[in-house]
Amino acid sequence: MIELKKIEKNYRRGAENVRALRGVDLMIDKKELVAITGPSGAGKTTLLHILGCLDQPTNGEVSIDSVNAGNLPEPELVKLRRDKIGFVFQQFYLIPGLSVFDNIALPLLFSKKPATPEKIKKLAEMVGLQHRLDHVPTQLSGGEMQRTAIARGLVNEPEILLADEPTGNLDTENSDKIFEILRSLSSDGLTVVMITHNQELAARAKRTVHIKDGLVHSDSYLVNA
Amino acid sequence: MLGIAASVGVLFSVLSFNRGFNEGLAQELESTGLHFMVVPSGCAHEVAALVLHGAVIPKFLDTGVMQHLQEANGITMATPILVAQLPNPKKERIDLIYGVDMEVLSAIKPGWQIEGKVPTQGNEILLGHEVAEHEGLKPGDVFTETADGTPLVIAGIVGLTGSQDDAFVYLPIQTAQQILERPDAATAIGVKVTNPERMNEITDELSAVVPGIQIVTMGQVMNSISNLAASARALSLAIVLIAVLISAVGVMNSILMSVFERSQEIGMMRAVGASRRDVFRIILEETTILSVAGGLFGIAIATFGSKLIEAFVRSVMPFVPSGNLISFDPLLALGSVLFIMAIGLCAGLYPARKASKINPVEAIKG
Repeated sequence: MIELKKIEKNYRRGAENVRALRGVDLMIDKKELVAITGPSGAGKTTLLHILGCLDQPTNGEVSIDSVNAGNLPEPELVKLRRDKIGFVFQQFYLIPGLSVFDNIALPLLFSKKPATPEKIKKLAEMVGLQHRLDHVPTQLSGGEMQRTAIARGLVNEPEILLADEPTGNLDTENSDKIFEILRSLSSDGLTVVMITHNQELAARAKRTVHIKDGLVHSDSYLVNA
Repeated sequence: MLGIAASVGVLFSVLSFNRGFNEGLAQELESTGLHFMVVPSGCAHEVAALVLHGAVIPKFLDTGVMQHLQEANGITMATPILVAQLPNPKKERIDLIYGVDMEVLSAIKPGWQIEGKVPTQGNEILLGHEVAEHEGLKPGDVFTETADGTPLVIAGIVGLTGSQDDAFVYLPIQTAQQILERPDAATAIGVKVTNPERMNEITDELSAVVPGIQIVTMGQVMNSISNLAASARALSLAIVLIAVLISAVGVMNSILMSVFERSQEIGMMRAVGASRRDVFRIILEETTILSVAGGLFGIAIATFGSKLIEAFVRSVMPFVPSGNLISFDPLLALGSVLFIMAIGLCAGLYPARKASKINPVEAIKG
């Protein structure tokens, strides 16, 4: 479903020329739960941004459902991102003035789909926030904020959910809750790619891809998944 | 937003004042029932115009003028007005006196509310609101005594007009002439004609026959006063437009700052499906909402503060018609809001463009 071929990504940081990715080859099938691990600066986030069509590789090819994203003009990329990909960030990026309901519904504003209360409530229930819909982000715990962000990432009914260190700012209990939600979503048919530094959580994923120095260092599957 | 509110408030006030001033002036001059004023020659139109509101001209009309007017054909009414400053050594002040035929007072000052009655006796007077309030006087009190010891009794007090009228003492014209020791003297003569269509003919005839006079029609009075006020209005409008421009730059700066502060939020929106156009539209909508909210707030302030603004204008303008100068006009309010909305839209274009160009990857990285 997602295919990366010889992905390279170079960029400049001041006077320095950074080679973030040096020829990554990766295939991710539908319904997979993939944990991407690796040390800081290894290129994990850059890889996730390229997977999500937020960034373009310097060299190489990204295909999503056999569509070469590298050849798509900007409006088509936006549509692809909007229809097929959901994002979850470590810092949540909820809009402070909006309620949980409105934060979840935000992407529908861009996809021009109706934000029906039933749909939002169903998503809120899925992440255990049905009692928090009228609250604003400042009234939520870190775990609740991340669950709101996950519901927001799912509201456009994407096929792929990309999560950049979704448990990075959470305690163990909340990290477990978030991981269980992601695992449950994967079981229901969603492809989930999650960057994590948490080795214990990564070990529970069906597949772990370890990135080091811009290359896939290891790609392992959980035997009894 | 306060900057926008202030500039829209001032803009709305200036436009309302402009409209109120012209309407008030036209209404006041029309309601006097006078068609023209006869003043001493060499008297500027503007000053002649101000006689109705108590301007003191250091010249008097020749006593024979009234006789010529009474003899002229087509004149229904000719009423002398005598305006002067009168030293009052007993009370160590100068009284502003306005001598007028009390029988035609209602024709010259139709909007007045009088507490008490209009003078019917030679020693009865009317006091302007300010004079009465300052001296603590009421109808029936003695205002002062003339040089021959005759007490001037207050018959009535004029209600607050908010104009120069509040500062005068109104006497029967004969009493004013006696006090000034100028029998038959007048500062101006207000004239009403039988047929206004013949006015030019009558004024030409009078100008030819009577030496030393100048005739100023109410149309000229209106033009003169309008011209007098126009430069002040143009200046204030220019200042308002500069204020609007400054507030527009302020809006642009605020929105630009907000775009930079919210770049991560914008990056997130791009990631969850917003196109560049969506981001552009959102920022432009925010600027418009800010501008319209500021505009509405400004109009509310201007409407509620109109009395204060009016009092200030009256204190600095040489001539201001009676009545409400600044009143709420929905069309003018709508126009002001639409204007500031257009300015807001223009001010939002650059920040919106900047926001739409934000690279989501860099924004999310922070």
